[in-house]
Amino acid sequence: MRPFNFTKVTTVKDGITKKEDTGQYIAGGTNLLDLMKKHIAQPEMLVDITTISSSIKPLKTGVQIGAMVRNSTLTLDNEILTKYPLIAKAILAGASPQIRNMASTGGNLLQRTRCVYFYDVDMPCNKREPGSGCSALHGNNRMSAIVGWSEDCVAVHPSDLCIALVALDASVKVVEKNQKERIIPFKDFHRLPGNTPHQDNNLPANAIITAIEVPVNPFNKHYAYLKLRDRDSYAFALVSVAAALHLENNRIVDARLASGGVAHKPWRWSDAENFLKGKEANTANFQEAARIAAEQTKPLEGNAFKVPMLKGAIEVALQNCLTA
Amino acid sequence: MEFFDNELSTLMPAEGRVEAIAKVTGKGKYAAEYTVPGVCYAVLVTSSIPAGTIKAIQVDKAKRATGVIDILYHQNKPVVPGFADETKIRESRVGLPVFYTDKIYFKGQPIALVVAESLEEATYAASLITADYTAEVFNVDFVKTHPSIPLKAAGKERGTVDEWSNAIHIVEAEYTIKEEVHNPMEMHATIAEWVGDNKVKLYEKTQGVNSVQRVISGLFSIPRENVEVISEFVGGGFGSGLRVWSNTLMAVMASLQVKRPVKLMLTRPQMFSLVGYRPESWQKIKLGADSSGKFSGMIHQAKHTTSVFENFNENITRIARLVYDFKNLKTESAIVPLNLGTPTWMRGPGDCTGDFAIESAIDELSYKLNEDPIALRLKNIALKNDPESGKPWSTHFIDECLEQGATKINWKNRKQTPGQVTEGDWQIGYGMAIGMWTSGRTQASASIVLDKSGTIIVRTAMTDIGTGTGTAMQNLAHESLGMPKNKIKVELGNSNLPPAPSQGGSTGLASLGGAVMDAATLLKQKLATYAAAINAQYKDAAAADILLSENGISYKQANAQFISYADLWKKVDEPTIEAEATSAPGEERQQFAFCSSAAHFCIVRVHSKTGKVKVDRMVCVADGGKIINEKPAANQVSGAAVGGIGMALMEEQQADVKFGSLLGNDLAGYHFAVNADAPIIEVSFIDKPDPNINQMGSKGLGEVGIIGCAAAIANAIYNATGKRLRNLPITPDKVLLG
Repeated sequence: MRPFNFTKVTTVKDGITKKEDTGQYIAGGTNLLDLMKKHIAQPEMLVDITTISSSIKPLKTGVQIGAMVRNSTLTLDNEILTKYPLIAKAILAGASPQIRNMASTGGNLLQRTRCVYFYDVDMPCNKREPGSGCSALHGNNRMSAIVGWSEDCVAVHPSDLCIALVALDASVKVVEKNQKERIIPFKDFHRLPGNTPHQDNNLPANAIITAIEVPVNPFNKHYAYLKLRDRDSYAFALVSVAAALHLENNRIVDARLASGGVAHKPWRWSDAENFLKGKEANTANFQEAARIAAEQTKPLEGNAFKVPMLKGAIEVALQNCLTA
Repeated sequence: MEFFDNELSTLMPAEGRVEAIAKVTGKGKYAAEYTVPGVCYAVLVTSSIPAGTIKAIQVDKAKRATGVIDILYHQNKPVVPGFADETKIRESRVGLPVFYTDKIYFKGQPIALVVAESLEEATYAASLITADYTAEVFNVDFVKTHPSIPLKAAGKERGTVDEWSNAIHIVEAEYTIKEEVHNPMEMHATIAEWVGDNKVKLYEKTQGVNSVQRVISGLFSIPRENVEVISEFVGGGFGSGLRVWSNTLMAVMASLQVKRPVKLMLTRPQMFSLVGYRPESWQKIKLGADSSGKFSGMIHQAKHTTSVFENFNENITRIARLVYDFKNLKTESAIVPLNLGTPTWMRGPGDCTGDFAIESAIDELSYKLNEDPIALRLKNIALKNDPESGKPWSTHFIDECLEQGATKINWKNRKQTPGQVTEGDWQIGYGMAIGMWTSGRTQASASIVLDKSGTIIVRTAMTDIGTGTGTAMQNLAHESLGMPKNKIKVELGNSNLPPAPSQGGSTGLASLGGAVMDAATLLKQKLATYAAAINAQYKDAAAADILLSENGISYKQANAQFISYADLWKKVDEPTIEAEATSAPGEERQQFAFCSSAAHFCIVRVHSKTGKVKVDRMVCVADGGKIINEKPAANQVSGAAVGGIGMALMEEQQADVKFGSLLGNDLAGYHFAVNADAPIIEVSFIDKPDPNINQMGSKGLGEVGIIGCAAAIANAIYNATGKRLRNLPITPDKVLLG
């Protein structure tokens, strides 16, 4: 780790004013510290924003989750558990209790890929060192993307929480450098790699995430988060699926399907969702939805297994919506 | 064991380990935790390429950084007599001649060591060091390379291959296992302090203080007794602490250079390349049987990785020669040098790997024969004599292990045809396999000290790597002397104490226990001599006649002819009475062969749509001779079985063939089994003493808990799904595509 300056601020405004271009904000630090230890992130200053909003506020239109709400808090909050339980379910599938106690809601969105090539400064990686090449494209890409990837980057976004948030049509509230507030739809927050994979998301430079808003939704009865991984705790997803159904007399009024471990951003399976709308909630329709999603993938040499796994995971997750 | 088997059990757990309170309160010190006045901190810089030569190394920036005391590298290091020339380096057998070469053999090899006033300063300065290399061609690709490395005979061929080439049933298949890294909770660490011109003291993470003493005294040409090695608490060994690795050597060198105590602890990423690993392997089995299910012969071939600078052979085919009665047996092996660190022993080394292939092949044969896999094994196990030496087994209860395990897991519910039992999308199957290990014993010493207050201390240099050695020493002393356990203290893991071998290969307690018992006998004889001066009854007392209690000693029965310690000490000039004994294997090794064994059973469920495998139950019945203390013994076996689940289902360390780097070096990406992956492991013991192995009748246990686990799980997956998966780890992708 390199020496750096450290400033703690009490307001968003103060944070934005104090942060220099060579600095970084720090919240829970669960990813940033690793990145600094490995010299992947080398900020010259850290601006501690742990004092910004950590409250969960019910709104008429939904719920507002302060950026500093710890992940573990979200899994215990009554408002979340009764109205947005998919969020809690997703969080509990990730990390460890110790990490969830530290990790913040805003920071969760900004965690970087776990692609092994990104973490080894001696190997080329376009995300870490633009223009150096993608080592995973023809290297070990068992964990890599099966949809939305480019020749420049096949990394996947590692979050579980974000999969639930994208499924629930959340939005991200940010304050920009000019102190103006802006709302970014969650589905537009993260980016596909294209030829600029070093940019994980569309958060403007020096902006701070202040809250996540999740709109009121009917998905608190039939929902599931299924995470497939190499071990049952403390492992990143091979494939994960957030599924939620709005049912009336076993007919699907609305459906949400999103996946982690498959793309550079939390991925929505819109075509599969559209197929399900108006259909009966049964195995055949779930299988067809899974088939539609799987059809849109393009696996790499080392991760063809993710396609049948995704298909199976969607079927099981949708089925679990009926029993959850 | 009720306490482990049933989470709702209301039984009180058996009493804890002697070191339990020290461990949970943090009073027990691991190597890096000792406070040494004047200590400075060392941080390692490692190579960024996998092969080549260091052209130049830039240390100036680092030298100027705050707090930096010195930087060691190949052009700035103290004299190590043992590294004086190429021949001496080879003879030293320490592996990597760290800082005595400019050659790079693997990525992550130490190239410089920064010594600074604080850990933070050393860490920062280390990041400022850069090196220029002349890169050379490297190879980390085992899969592509091993076919070109020829096999050589591994042991004498029994019978001939021709004799069974027409066997009615043949199973022929290849098996692979990926590299598994060592990552005990405690990272390898050393604090080295030169306390005189040729005297050094080490706080060290090791499984054997005397072994470290031997290596360091040899390398630095100083008398062995001038090297003091302390390793009182060890946070897991598993074989990683059986060698002296570069961290020890570098700390000793640095301390010599800066003339201050130096602490060096490897970082977690460094643990992945600097303290060995279970090598990646390939095996081929050809197994034949006649129509009655009697094995007619086997060919077992195996290859595994080693480093380019050292030959390590873990002898994968050894177990082929141990378990079954093969009249015809051919075993061949080869090692494949790659640009990686040197592999080393890891729990059940060699046998664990070989067992997976053999026990998988036997399972496959059982389906061909349509015969129960337990019955097939019983028909072929060499139960009476060691098939290699021909000597009779002193004791061998694998048949009883099988019988008890089968009952416990309700083996009768298993379906002989695979894929018969489903629960929704889950397929359920039963599997089993056996494991064996040669029960070794080596010379070990222990002493027992009694002081005036009636406190006993039992001492040995042997470490306790978490196996319960200290607790067993207390138990044995208690049983031999009669003294209550709370008056018996244990001191171990220090080279100044009576010498003992390294704790490894399931030999620890089997070697040491006899010495503790002999020391107890000697102590009682000494006490009898003093007591005779007070009470003539003690004059001809045998050791067995003497009993110790908190208040004093008595003759033949409690409180009879009682003499208090205060009275006794009137006849004793010394502050303590001490007895030391050494025990070693003897004639019995000429007459008998010795083995430990275990039968592993499991029930798994396999998800047909996602490839997920869950181990629902795991039963292990082990023969380790007489069990001294069931709680740590069961704890050890259940830990080994969880290791087996990791080996079967998730552990794999890969290297990038294009860049020569390990792919990932943290515990988030390297998956070993955690609680969520393991059921409560149901452990039980045969618990019959072996009358010939040592005074207690105890055989080693550490290895057999894992040997056989992986095959049992793979065999259960076959029983559940009909998919025969021969490549470990069996991750969900392999199940889906299998």
